[in-house]
Parts: sequence; C-alpha cells; structure tokens
Amino acid sequence: MSTTPVIDVDRLNLTYDGFAAVKDLSFRVDRGELYALLGTNGAGKTSTLETIEGHRAPGSGAVRVFGKDPRDRAAVRPRMGIMLQESGFAPDLTVRETVRLVGRLTERTDDVGRVLGVVGLTRKAATKVGRLSGGEKRRLDFATAVYGSPELVVLDEPTTGLDIQSRDALWDAVDRLREGGATIVLTTHYLEEAQQRADRIGLMHQGAFHREGTVAELTRTLPATIRFGLPPRAPAPPLHAARQADGQFLVETFGLQKDLHTLLGWAQDHAVDLQDLRAGPTRLDDVFRAIDNS
Amino acid sequence: MWTIARGELIQIFRNRLVLVTALVLPAALSAFFVFRHDLFTAVGSLGYIASLALFFVAGIGLYTTSVTTLASRRQNLFLKRLRSTAAGDAGILGGLLVPITVLSVAQIGVILGVLAAVAGPPANPLLLVAAVVATVAMMLALGLATAGLTNSPEHAQVTTLPVSLGVIAVGGWVGITGTGDLTLLKRLLPGGSATELVLDAWNGGRPAADSLVLFGPTLAWVVVAVALAARLFRWEPRR
Repeated sequence: MSTTPVIDVDRLNLTYDGFAAVKDLSFRVDRGELYALLGTNGAGKTSTLETIEGHRAPGSGAVRVFGKDPRDRAAVRPRMGIMLQESGFAPDLTVRETVRLVGRLTERTDDVGRVLGVVGLTRKAATKVGRLSGGEKRRLDFATAVYGSPELVVLDEPTTGLDIQSRDALWDAVDRLREGGATIVLTTHYLEEAQQRADRIGLMHQGAFHREGTVAELTRTLPATIRFGLPPRAPAPPLHAARQADGQFLVETFGLQKDLHTLLGWAQDHAVDLQDLRAGPTRLDDVFRAIDNS
Repeated sequence: MWTIARGELIQIFRNRLVLVTALVLPAALSAFFVFRHDLFTAVGSLGYIASLALFFVAGIGLYTTSVTTLASRRQNLFLKRLRSTAAGDAGILGGLLVPITVLSVAQIGVILGVLAAVAGPPANPLLLVAAVVATVAMMLALGLATAGLTNSPEHAQVTTLPVSLGVIAVGGWVGITGTGDLTLLKRLLPGGSATELVLDAWNGGRPAADSLVLFGPTLAWVVVAVALAARLFRWEPRR
C-alpha cells in the first residue's frame, strides 16, 4: 500500500482582509480513514475544507490531495467527491438530470438509478430540483458526491437538515464506501456522529488545532463525570462531590469505575437512595465545551 | 463543456422568463422592423434595419441572458458546484454560454434571412457575417464583464440596462445619421463601428477593404471587456 497520504496539509495559513482564518495548520489523512474536522463556529474548518477541495488557494503553506495540488481539477476531481455545505443546483433541472450532469462532469461512471436509490430519491427522479425540500437537496448533494464511488469523499456538514432515517441512510452509504476503501473527511455539528464514526478528529479553535487525535485520545484529557441527587438529611457523600446549582452532586474523575464503586458502596452502607444517578465517560461535547470555555 | 451546455439548453426552454427575454422579445421587435421595412428604410436604410435587428438579439437576447445566467448560477452556488467537478473554468463558462450564443446566432440568421427575402439581399454577405461574429463576440465579452458587477438575476435587470439600451441607441443613431459627422465618437462607442459595418455590408457603396478598419473598435471592446471580466468576474457570491 502506498504511504503517500490522501490529504497532506502543511503549515496552511489563510487570511481574509487581515483576519487570520487559519493559522499554521498541519495534518494528514491516510487512505481509508474517516477524519472529522470539528470546531466552534468561525474556527476555520470550512476555509480549510475549501482549500482541500481546491476552491481556495492557500495564503501560505501547502495542501496536497493524492500528492497533487487540489486546484488541478482534471487530475484530482475524478478521484474525489465533494458535498458542499450549501446546495448549488440548477432549479429547472430534474433530480435525474442533475445527478447525470454532475456525475458526468466528475468523469467517473455509475448508474444514475443506483445512486438515486442509495439516497432514497428514486421517486423524486423526475422532480425539478427547485421543488425539493431542504433535506432532499442535501440528499441530492450527497448523491453527486458519491457518484462513481470516489476514493476520497469530502462531506461538509452532511447531515444538517436531514431527518433521522435519511441520516441513517447516509451513514450506511458512507460505511459501504469505507468498506470499499474510500477515505472520508467531514465536518459536522453533530458531535455524536464524529464520536461514533471518526478514526481521528481535528478539533479547531480560532484557526488552529486545539487538539488532534482519536476520540479516546481527545477525551482522556478530561475527567469522566458522575451525577446524582441525595434525599434530605442524607449524610455527606464520599469523594469530592461538588454540589451544583440544581442541587445535584457532581464528581469529576479519571477513575470512573473505582469511584462509582465507592459511591455505590457508600449508598448501600448508609441505605441512601441515589437519585437520578448518571455516570459516563467524557464525551466529545465536554471536550468541545472545555475548548470554548478556555 | 457539452454536458453543461446540454443542461443549460434544457433550462432555457423550461424557464419562461428566460425564454421570453432571450428569444421572444428580440424576435418580436425585429419582426416588427422587418414587417415595416418600407417605413424604416425611408428613415434609414435596409442596413439600418439589419443593424437594429442584430442589436435587439445581441443586446437583449444574448447579452442580457448571459449576464442573468451567470449571476443566477453564481448566486445559487451552481458555479461552485460545477467547479467541484473535473470541469475546467473555460469549459464551465463555455457550457453556460454556448446555448444562448448558438440560439442568438441562429435567430440573427433567420431574421436577416427573412429581411433579405422580403427586401433584397445584402451587398456583401461575407462582410455581414464577419460583422455579426464580431458583434456577438463583443456582446459576450461585455456580458462576462457585466456579470462580474452583478450580484443576482434581479440585479441584472439594472446592470444590463446601460449596455443593452446603449448599443441599441448607438445602432439607431449611427443607422439613421451615418458617420459623416462625429465620426470618431460614433465609431468608438460600443456598437457604433459594428453598425457601420452592417450598413456597409448591407447597403454596399464602400469597398470591403475600407470597411475592415471598422473591426478595430469592435475588437478593442472585446479586449477591454475580457480584461475587465478577468478582474471583475467572481465564481462565488460575495460573503
């Protein structure tokens, strides 16, 4: 297998009107990976993605896709599918005509009917794009991105505006692409999607990486939490349980299993009913909030 | 390019507003002038009617539709979508503009053919063809430049007025008064030398070699407009 990364971003800088949108960003995405680029609003992820897509020139630094400049469309695009953050379609063309048009321009081959089936738009094939709902347009967008099963698929907030069934169908299609060896790069505001599916995550904040790594690597830097309530006149709980404004107690711990065992043992020994007990590992949301608060 | 052109052609025929602006309006105006050619020949000449018909189609049909198409495709991010594929920029622009250009040229051919059939043929058909080609090139280039200044299809209704009405007005002015006075001004205005070319080609009376110099100003407008387009044209809406 080739060791050349599918995407290689090296000290990328992007500046708009004096504002540094992306600062000295470097990362690589290897073949077959699902890489999630996450961040707060204005973190620079769409600017980064658009540079990877070849829509934007780097201010400085270099971006290579399949070892080539992504602005070399003839060389890169036949191997790359792009789902833009906002749909850009001709409203007077039908769904079938749109997929055929954009599909042909990718220079990949596929069956239009099959692709429409993948995104559940078969019954809308003869409908003009201008009459589609927002969610249907997102599915059409996805259809054009995966037409011909490209080696690299870039998905910019792919599930925004989709109902739960459409989201599941989209992720099923992504899973099938990955089974075929495709590399996926995505941005999303649905952190649980990234947490469940990403091999690696780049967390952007103010134009730079705040952290990068696997979900486990990112979440292990923050403590897990145990929350519970106590009945009136209960003895003081063990551990360093801090009382919250809502009356609940919060324990932050890097030893979740041990501390939970301690708490349950204490409750048993003192015949205390732990109310609304919740315990869980650190989630990506918590990492995100920590970044935002920092 | 041809894949995009096919899609664009479908859209022209599905969008009634574009169909009326691009095809029906210039054809109706030209038909009126051809139908009353005896009246307008008395005001100007047959060449005057031919030049007006040329600018009705090139100014309203070709130029306005080109600007509106490019602004519309940019505004709804279709240009960005096309640039997300393997198609090159020249292929994208070509694909978007070829259908309306072909339709306009065909329309000009039919209108001038009808005028020749009912009122008599042009003195120099080859020169007429060259004049039409130069005018179409000028209007396309002006369309690209104007599209750079146009944010939306609605905005195009304003931004296209100076050039589309301007070339028709200049065509009428030169067609009726000739270039005996204010020669330089009339020839330098967009559409002025093109009108004089059409007058020479249809009415005759001047050696073709003497008319060739009139291609200069028209082609200069092409160069200026392309240079402006290179500076002004945007592929994505302003953020």
